Amino acid sequence: MTISDISHRKKFLAEGNVYLPHIAVIEKIIDETPTVKTFHFNFKDEKLRKEFTFDSGQFGEYSVLGVGEATFCISSSPTRLGHLEAAVARVGKVTNALHRLGEGAEIGFRGPFGNSFPLDYMAGKNLVFVAGGIGLAPLRSLICNALDNRDKYGNIDIIYGARTPGDLCFKYDLDSWEKDSSVNMTTTVDREAPDWDGNVGFVPAITEKVAPSAKDAVAIVCGPPIMIRFTFPVLEKLGFTPAQMITTLEKRMKCGIGKCGRCNIGDIYVCRDGPVFSYEEIKNFKSDEY
Amino acid sequence: MKKIKKQDVKGLLEKWQKDFAVFVPSSASGVSQMDAWDGKETAFLDRNRNTAVPPKAKFLPSMEKMFGFRREKGTYTLEPTNGDPPRQLLFGIHPCDARAIAIIDAVFKDAYDDRYYLSRREKTVLIGMACAGPYDSCFCTSLGYGPSDSADVDIMLTDIGDSFVIEEVTDKGKELLTGSKGVVDATKDDEKKAAAAKTSAEDKVTRKIDTGEISKRLPGAFDDQEFWEEISAKCVSCGICTFLCPTCYCFDINDEMLQDGSGARYRNWDCCSFSVYTRMPAENPREDKWRRVRQKVYHKYLFYPELFETIACTGCGRCIRQCPVNWDITQTLNALPAGKKEETKKAA
Repeated sequence: MTISDISHRKKFLAEGNVYLPHIAVIEKIIDETPTVKTFHFNFKDEKLRKEFTFDSGQFGEYSVLGVGEATFCISSSPTRLGHLEAAVARVGKVTNALHRLGEGAEIGFRGPFGNSFPLDYMAGKNLVFVAGGIGLAPLRSLICNALDNRDKYGNIDIIYGARTPGDLCFKYDLDSWEKDSSVNMTTTVDREAPDWDGNVGFVPAITEKVAPSAKDAVAIVCGPPIMIRFTFPVLEKLGFTPAQMITTLEKRMKCGIGKCGRCNIGDIYVCRDGPVFSYEEIKNFKSDEY
Repeated sequence: MKKIKKQDVKGLLEKWQKDFAVFVPSSASGVSQMDAWDGKETAFLDRNRNTAVPPKAKFLPSMEKMFGFRREKGTYTLEPTNGDPPRQLLFGIHPCDARAIAIIDAVFKDAYDDRYYLSRREKTVLIGMACAGPYDSCFCTSLGYGPSDSADVDIMLTDIGDSFVIEEVTDKGKELLTGSKGVVDATKDDEKKAAAAKTSAEDKVTRKIDTGEISKRLPGAFDDQEFWEEISAKCVSCGICTFLCPTCYCFDINDEMLQDGSGARYRNWDCCSFSVYTRMPAENPREDKWRRVRQKVYHKYLFYPELFETIACTGCGRCIRQCPVNWDITQTLNALPAGKKEETKKAA
């Protein structure tokens, strides 16, 4: 894939060296689930703090210096720029180190990298968000973005599920979206659980039950790979065309800029050409390794 | 064309050493590679074969410090490395390896400049030596050039016995030779000898692949799992084929830190033969060995050409020579199934 002009993506990278992180300070930590924390952070550099912006769907390379670097999306919205947020599941070396940090600790940040959700394409349309687990993080940026520009979009449906009630992320947002009369919110968990009187069932099945209309709509899907794979056919059954389905792909990354090699799917690099793709684009990939 | 007597080359290198860090093919470390010239050694003037470690290491070292940092009272200070590397001169680089560097330049430029690589590249001159002794594992002539090709070097030397015939390829190359002692005009006879050496080397490259046929077959062969399982069965995923490949450029990024709060970020060569290379918390797109072997072949012969309009292989044969289980990329490429279906895309 030849890449179009991306000068806007380079605006906030360290001058002269794309690998050099900016130092940022963790301002607040929210325990989302037993294994997920959201970090609110901001740059130490005053100018960067004032000027930094990004697009919903973009990601960064986050460092715990001395431990390493890892890739997470920016889960906050560019419409709310007081600070940046990243939701991080504790799964490996860097994420465990991040989870051990407290408020006031310093981290490294490079970004923003990657493409973003196609706001122009989505304008005027009904938005159907389908998310599972921590897959809500990138969509949350877009959901907040859309809610802050509410008149630009039609109906907003959010279908969100997790394994157990305790694994639901961003509960404070779920509550506020639940109360928002302009949002049709559905929450589900995989299995019956004590003190849970909401929906029970996997996200694809619940999506089929909620049956959002495909007319003038865009579905934005993110979650574990297995959830994404089962959700696309459900949406197709509901009348969504592959072009109307958008997702953001996860791959192991190191450089974030299409050089270190590992995030390719055929001749595309998820970090450079994605991470946001329509299902139509995904179907045209030369490889099934996504 | 110019020429120089072999005995005068030492003087030339001494002259260059005043302005450049001079590297020459050497086996002093136990493995042949481009090492700093000691100012005395001249055995490499009669070396007609490639080094085991490709000269890419002079641009993308197997391990390099990206930057340092220091933690004091919870605050980090970054210590960027000097972005201004010394000028270097690689003497005796073979056409396949010079070509490899030209091929991977595209990645390090692409959408974002990689200053670590590019700053070294900009400050390096390449003195090529026509290959006189290709191995039977070499197949450069199948890739649109040959063992004497001078397109990617600044100066090209061809061994004609007691002298080298010199082709000044670039202005930079011409400048390097200006006023050099022992450099004289080549005679018609010298040029004839150089041309004969060239033909003789080309004739020695007997291993062939058909890149036209390969590019036709690759799209259809992608989903032939059975073929890839068979092809990859003996691979032990050791990674030597990629580490020694002159066009493999994948890297990892790692941090080190000492108790005293000082640390550094490094990058190291990495390798698509390792399953950990793509491993993620939830799954691994290339957990299966056959997928990794397939990736290696496709990256070089289909994906890279799609992105940068050149095959990422120079036919240098290292991956064949160094493989502990005799895996042979030319056998794989020549055995690609013709495939019936044109479309190979899989639905999710």
